[in-house]
Amino acid sequence: MLIADVSETYTDIVTSVFSSTIAAKAWFATAAVILALVQLTTAARIYGKLRFLPERGRAIATTHRWSGRLAFLCTLPVFFHCVTILGFQTPDARVALHSLVGTFLYGVFVAKVLIVRDHSLPAWALPTAGLTLASLLVVLWLSSSLWYFTNVRFGF
Amino acid sequence: MGRGWRPLLVGGAVVAGTFALAQAQVFEPSAPADPGVAGDAERGEAIFVSECAGCHGDGGTGGAGPALLETGLDATEVATIVQQGRGVMPAGNVTGQDQADVVAYVVSISSPAE
Repeated sequence: MLIADVSETYTDIVTSVFSSTIAAKAWFATAAVILALVQLTTAARIYGKLRFLPERGRAIATTHRWSGRLAFLCTLPVFFHCVTILGFQTPDARVALHSLVGTFLYGVFVAKVLIVRDHSLPAWALPTAGLTLASLLVVLWLSSSLWYFTNVRFGF
Repeated sequence: MGRGWRPLLVGGAVVAGTFALAQAQVFEPSAPADPGVAGDAERGEAIFVSECAGCHGDGGTGGAGPALLETGLDATEVATIVQQGRGVMPAGNVTGQDQADVVAYVVSISSPAE
């Protein structure tokens, strides 16, 4: 398959469900942000905060893990379109900020996953990495999906 | 160097890799757009209203994006911009027959008035 055909095939697949690739990105990013908020909430519960939520335990841990996995999956089509088709762009402040923050997203994600598995690190490392990752996702959502929903259209 | 640096180093490498990939734009459609597919300007107007008017204004009169009226753009230029994006305009907003129809509509409003 020619490289030029890849983006066309991707576009055809995405537009079989969504009105455009941009709409698809906006909704995938929205799903990722919602799941990231679930991650934050469950992480806070795991750390003994938000006591109004169900008791810490297996359900919270499972929800935390699966919301993270699903959030990661939701970012993949966005990553594919933004990074491999559109690339790093700086035509205005919004797009420049989006490009810059987006460049860091997977790096912070990988660092967070490694920190989860490394029990020799200080206790603050994991919540710091998690909060940083969630913050990056929120900034990316504000600078893309929210812009799309408020400036172009709110729909699929 | 302690083991604690590993997440930062690996994360940094991923950031560098992402940046390199973004610079390469490996799947950017590079072939010039083919406006050969016949477009239906009337149908294109309806698609334009839902997909493009948010930025280019109703009837292409302009808004957050530039006005398209009487700009003299030809079909190849319009199709290329739609496929590849320009400035803040993302690539591939409309594709296939929809793209051909939108191109036909935009060309119809881009033609300078007699």
